[in-house]
Amino acid sequence: MRNNRLAKWLISGPPLLYLLLFFAIPSAIMAFAAFRFPGDYGGLLPLMNVNPDTGKTELLINAGNYADFLTLENFTRFFQEPVFFELFLKSFWYAGLTTVICLALAYPLAWLIARSPKKHRDLLVLMVILPFWSNFLIRVYSWMIILGPQGYFAKSINAVLGVIGIGPVQLLFSHFAVILVLVYVHLPFMVLPLYANLEKHDMNLLDAAQDLGANAWQRFWRITWPLSLPGVWAGAALVFIPALGMFAVPDLVGGTDGIMIGNLIKQQFLDSRDWPFGSVLSIMLTLAVLMLAGLATLIGRGGKRNAL
Amino acid sequence: MHSKQSKWLWGAASLVYLFLYLPLIIVVVYSFNDSKLNAEWVGFTFKWYEILFNDAQMLTAARNTLIIGLVTSVCATVLGTLAGLAMYKYKLRLLPVLVLTPIAIPEILMGVSLLIFFVMLNMTLGLVSIALSHIAFCIGFVAIVVRSRLQGMDESLVEAARDLGATPVQAFRLVTLPLIMPGIIAGALMAFTLSIDDFVITFFTAGAGASTLPLQIYSMIRIAVTPEVNAISTLLMLLTLALIVIASKVAPGAIKAQS
Amino acid sequence: MHLFNWNNAVSSDTIKRFEAECKCKVQETYYGSMEEALAKLTAGAKGFDVIGPSNYGIPPLVKLGLLQPLDKTRLPNLKNLNPAFANTPLDPNNQYSAPYDFTVTLVGYNADKLKSLGIDPTSWAVVFDPKILARIKGKVTVLDDPREVIAAALRYNGFSANSQKPEELKKAVATIKAAKPYWAAFNSQSYIKELTLGNIWVALGYSNDLFQSRQDAVKAKRAFKIDYTLQKEGNGMTADSFVIHKNAPRPDLAVQFINFMLDGKNAAGITNNVGAGNPNAAAKPFIDKALLAVPAINPDANQVKQLEQLTDLSATTRRAWNRAWTDIKVGN
Repeated sequence: MRNNRLAKWLISGPPLLYLLLFFAIPSAIMAFAAFRFPGDYGGLLPLMNVNPDTGKTELLINAGNYADFLTLENFTRFFQEPVFFELFLKSFWYAGLTTVICLALAYPLAWLIARSPKKHRDLLVLMVILPFWSNFLIRVYSWMIILGPQGYFAKSINAVLGVIGIGPVQLLFSHFAVILVLVYVHLPFMVLPLYANLEKHDMNLLDAAQDLGANAWQRFWRITWPLSLPGVWAGAALVFIPALGMFAVPDLVGGTDGIMIGNLIKQQFLDSRDWPFGSVLSIMLTLAVLMLAGLATLIGRGGKRNAL
Repeated sequence: MHSKQSKWLWGAASLVYLFLYLPLIIVVVYSFNDSKLNAEWVGFTFKWYEILFNDAQMLTAARNTLIIGLVTSVCATVLGTLAGLAMYKYKLRLLPVLVLTPIAIPEILMGVSLLIFFVMLNMTLGLVSIALSHIAFCIGFVAIVVRSRLQGMDESLVEAARDLGATPVQAFRLVTLPLIMPGIIAGALMAFTLSIDDFVITFFTAGAGASTLPLQIYSMIRIAVTPEVNAISTLLMLLTLALIVIASKVAPGAIKAQS
Repeated sequence: MHLFNWNNAVSSDTIKRFEAECKCKVQETYYGSMEEALAKLTAGAKGFDVIGPSNYGIPPLVKLGLLQPLDKTRLPNLKNLNPAFANTPLDPNNQYSAPYDFTVTLVGYNADKLKSLGIDPTSWAVVFDPKILARIKGKVTVLDDPREVIAAALRYNGFSANSQKPEELKKAVATIKAAKPYWAAFNSQSYIKELTLGNIWVALGYSNDLFQSRQDAVKAKRAFKIDYTLQKEGNGMTADSFVIHKNAPRPDLAVQFINFMLDGKNAAGITNNVGAGNPNAAAKPFIDKALLAVPAINPDANQVKQLEQLTDLSATTRRAWNRAWTDIKVGN
């Protein structure tokens, strides 16, 4: 018995300790930082300082007086200025649109792979994963080349638009570019769970439905789509959440109004040096993600019940 | 009717494949283009690779990336395997949450919290802080792969070994470990690729002293779109391709397990 | 020796010559804005020997205890400094810093394009007036730097670039917000190339970067000319200095490097190769005659009056500026 408990601690102890130290504690510190004042030149307003004259460590604040070092101001700022709420909405909109487009592109592909002869399937799936193994920045960069105003693609698009009489459009540094690249870097995350789900469908169900006179459209909406919902939700979560926290894509291909929450967080930490407000934004993003995850679990459960 | 439908679907699917590959092909092609501009095709050259191999900063970054990747891979595999075993064997509450949350939340959150943490500890940001952070987010991926391998394992084999008089340690070493080895190898490869590819967490925990290839690429792209980036990208893609081929030889189940 | 400096500030030729002299390797890490550099340094970036901050970045670095005083006995070339740039309020007696260049923040433009459109680049209106911007929408970039952009907007509104008055800041922010929809991007680095390529026509940028862009356009035989000019409302300028990090691994090389850069001939290289103005009096004889005619490099007495050196803002003002910048970046 004691041996068992020892084994349990020996096995689970090291990863537990490591993650407590390098994940749980940093997260807790960040949550605490949200209630602090920013330091004059970045970081946090220090709680103590080494006096250069005496060499002694001095407490800079009156420990009994919480208002000296704890504040709700960072949160009030977030809730009082509508721009931040709007930015959250916009980021949700970007991530949501990305998810929907990924779904539309991934569904036919996943369906087709799942219906193709077994011996081809692994190869077809591998071909989806392969580009995703190249570095994320390279994938973003590739579109910077394609969309650049001097590139063949942008020139031909603008030539076509010119014929119709619409002025040249700016492709790079635009909303369009941000969404396009978000879709591009996240697409495999949608294909894989969808495929994993669609592969398991029982074809007999579809044949039976056809025998009963259901047309292709009905067969899809009444059978395939409801059965594939768990895959859809899994894919949606895998695309939506990373897209929501993205900062590099808007940074590299977005214009002046293309920024997302991630950019603002990055700005607070690396440019404005306002850590407390950056922490508030991070907490809000975490809460948003947790709420979504909870919602997805609920819907997922409901979906399962319906499917049964 | 079926064939008409599937023709249409195949068309759509090929377009999606084209969408996936065309940008990368363009990157590769332009790495041989004899023009700084990445816009019009001028002529064939190896010059960008030459510049690349003489770029001291790029080489340092490559070395850093490799060191961090190897350290991360080893440490995360050990810790992640333990975590996978623990989650499989015992009913735990805290560990699964700690293992899985870093995977589920946007990376930037982990990046900034680790930045605050390291600065508060007054730690020099650099190779060490990057590796520590990479290990933290790779543990979860290894643990998942190992646990799913364990779930697919026939438990009666371990019981048989125990019945034959093997101690728990012997049973683990002689039966369980060989059986889950493909999962562990897959996990190690995954941790390695995640580490050498990581941009976001590295970006926050690197400070200004140490650079890795993704950071180097990022700062180059921000300054100007130059074919040297195409060249390094092409080489990196070749490297990952080689890793995949090796993986499929060493551990045939590995690639599948990762998807 | 590890140098942490502005992107495009010291040319690689100069670095190579120093490497030959000291028989050491120089490793360079770049930043694109002073805010970014300060953020990284306060976040515990270590391992640097020499840093090349803008002068307004020196007081924060001193207050944070990140610098070590210069050993002047080992810097005989310090005497070469133009008195106008030595002993400034930002670093009295040059205790910590030795200036090596100055840059003016101004408008760079595609000369042929603006001429054909009849737009005058000698006023900040080209960057801030929506009426003019409507004709060059999406072809304008500004620096991704609150200090520089707000300073320019303050000058455009007739205020000091170092204004600490909240109501003046408010006006400047309103100006920027009105102009922002017409800008293509906030960009501190790749605008050099975008201008050369013809992707953008107007850039609020640094004189040395725009010099680079102009040279590149000539070298690449572009069909148009890139030029840059001072604005009649006045421009912000900053001198950049070399300082030594408190925990420099090689302080000996750091001092050697600074003295090397203060040598007249080497200092001239900064102007000749990078196009920045020169605070080094001994450098003048070595500077390209043609460059001495460029106002942003060698302003005459009248032009000097219109140049305002950016100073260190109080913590409150700085926070207000950063918040305003956040609002600008986030707002639609």
